[in-house]
Amino acid sequence: MKHLILILGLLHSLTAAAKINVVTTTTDLQALVETVGGDNVTAYAIAKGTQDPHQIEAKPSYMVKMRDADLVLAQGLELESAWIVPLIQGARNPKVAVGSMRFLELADKLEPIEVPVGNVTRAQGDVHPGGNPHFQVDPIRLGKAAVLIAAKLGEIDSANRALFKANAEKFQKHMEERTKEWTKRVAATKFREAVTFHKGLTYFLDRFGMSSPIQLEPRPGIPPTAAHLIEVVELMKKRDIHLVLIENYYDDKAGEKVKEDVPNAKIAVVPISVGGEPGIKDGEQLIERIVKIIEEKTR
Amino acid sequence: MLGRIWFLILLLSAPLATFAQNNSLKSPNVSANTLFLYRNSNFHQEDADETRNGVDLREAELMFSSDVDPYSRLSLLLSVHPNYKFNATSGKVEQTWAVEPEEVFAETDQIPGVTIKAGKFKAAFGKHNQLHTHAYPFIDAPLANSKLLGEEGLNDAGVSAAGLLPVAWFSEITAQYLRGAGENAEFSSPTSGDGVGVGHWKNLLDLSDALTMEIGASVAKGGNATGGSTSLYGGDLTFKWRPVTGGKYHSAIAAAEFIHRDMQQSGIADETGKGLALWGQFQFAERWASNVRYETLDVHNSVNPDLPNLLTTKECFGLTFNATEFSAFRLEYDMAHGPANAKGSNNEKTVYLQANFTIGAHPAHSY
Repeated sequence: MKHLILILGLLHSLTAAAKINVVTTTTDLQALVETVGGDNVTAYAIAKGTQDPHQIEAKPSYMVKMRDADLVLAQGLELESAWIVPLIQGARNPKVAVGSMRFLELADKLEPIEVPVGNVTRAQGDVHPGGNPHFQVDPIRLGKAAVLIAAKLGEIDSANRALFKANAEKFQKHMEERTKEWTKRVAATKFREAVTFHKGLTYFLDRFGMSSPIQLEPRPGIPPTAAHLIEVVELMKKRDIHLVLIENYYDDKAGEKVKEDVPNAKIAVVPISVGGEPGIKDGEQLIERIVKIIEEKTR
Repeated sequence: MLGRIWFLILLLSAPLATFAQNNSLKSPNVSANTLFLYRNSNFHQEDADETRNGVDLREAELMFSSDVDPYSRLSLLLSVHPNYKFNATSGKVEQTWAVEPEEVFAETDQIPGVTIKAGKFKAAFGKHNQLHTHAYPFIDAPLANSKLLGEEGLNDAGVSAAGLLPVAWFSEITAQYLRGAGENAEFSSPTSGDGVGVGHWKNLLDLSDALTMEIGASVAKGGNATGGSTSLYGGDLTFKWRPVTGGKYHSAIAAAEFIHRDMQQSGIADETGKGLALWGQFQFAERWASNVRYETLDVHNSVNPDLPNLLTTKECFGLTFNATEFSAFRLEYDMAHGPANAKGSNNEKTVYLQANFTIGAHPAHSY
């Protein structure tokens, strides 16, 4: 019996050792890795779903996670530029150094939108020169990201390459199917424009035939001002906008102020990452939740 | 002087054209930080005090960093700052400008788990010694740092190896050897090759997703100018809290740093100095934080006129407005109770207003 337990323990440790250890910058990428890799991966996310991924503190404990990582996945387009480099350098793991084969940024490979034209300066706020990095709220791009992740996992574990590819393609197809349904549901709400706090929902709105002509923050990364909120209210009245979506890591006070001047405005705090609300375990549940919130605001 | 300015213009002319985080092979990441400071102290003497009242450019730092090749990276940090010296001939304090290499070092991570560094750098001793001026939580470093480690801190040319221990939490051991001929009088041994050994052990534990505890211990030992040796011992403890939900708007820090220096002196008893700094910070809104610090410095057997044998205490109260990641403003009121001024007062009161601006590559925020 003792020998059996020993053998089982040894087998378990060998299996555990064979898993690909992935560190992701966001919970959205963590969920994708788990969907694609299944039991062959372990994934740890640095930014939680209720945290602003632009401003994560570079805790040394994250360096320990990266020290032991086989792969680091980031959204990219400078979403993590304030903290990813000190973490990678502090990890002292040349395998996952920025620029290496085991460090993968995804957003720039997924047809980024809102790529600034012309000269970019900080007078425009915290602008991302390569485009908007918040692709995780677009189901189609999530599917494409899964395929990219599968290819990378397949490079690391060639024995399971076909399995990763199959999982990713299955997920991609499923998201394409769900997108058709979500598109109909969002269309039925009659909302065509929404005010958001940040440009964190642009990919979602773009995918489902909506747009956000103005944000509560006057420029990316700059908190709302009284003067700017007057502009927001004027535009909402002029264009008959009644929906205000506040990404969940921002304070909803600015939305409440808008509601004082636009009484029929519907204000909603919206999760934009996996884990942004309890029970949101993957990208599909995240997008379902956002669609549901918009539906609820039509009633 | 003209040569220095010309050198600076040459340095800046090419890379500033691409003043951003970039992937270019032609130019490194470049950033500049400037600190403007207004100071008003009741101790100020216009024709004698080398620390000036009024508005001044406290410091401008220029930083260049890039991968050299697949094996190493290089960081170059130049400091431009005014120097004030009393001129006995004119009887006045005169200003000159200095351009100094604050840190210039090459690093490699090619040995897994270890960072090897060579060049001129801030020694891994305690908390404040590793910070640049613009990253201090208050206007100045604690008295123990400025008086026991020198105005510029423990900063010298040497080699360093920092490794992570194979444990589940962050535990880093750093061993450094400095040449001992830098800016620090306490380690300026006349004996060639008589360097300074530095050891630092840093641990950080996640007590929860919101709360961390950092505990560190430091030691440094080397020959001093009298032919004896100087020993430094340091300890630090920091708690940081930032909730996982709502962490954009609220956070708190409670920290302590202790430094002890024992310096052998020729023919007389050892000079001993010890200092403790306790401080806290509370972020009460997205861009606002308040700070408070209490500190002591206790010195015995000193023959240095700038380091009198007495107990000095100081309280600091600060209010910081972080407009963005790239600009911040700090108002601070300090009360120090220590050496007397010319009028016999022991209580120095100082008001500061500091503006901190950064341009260029995104600043990497260390924890």
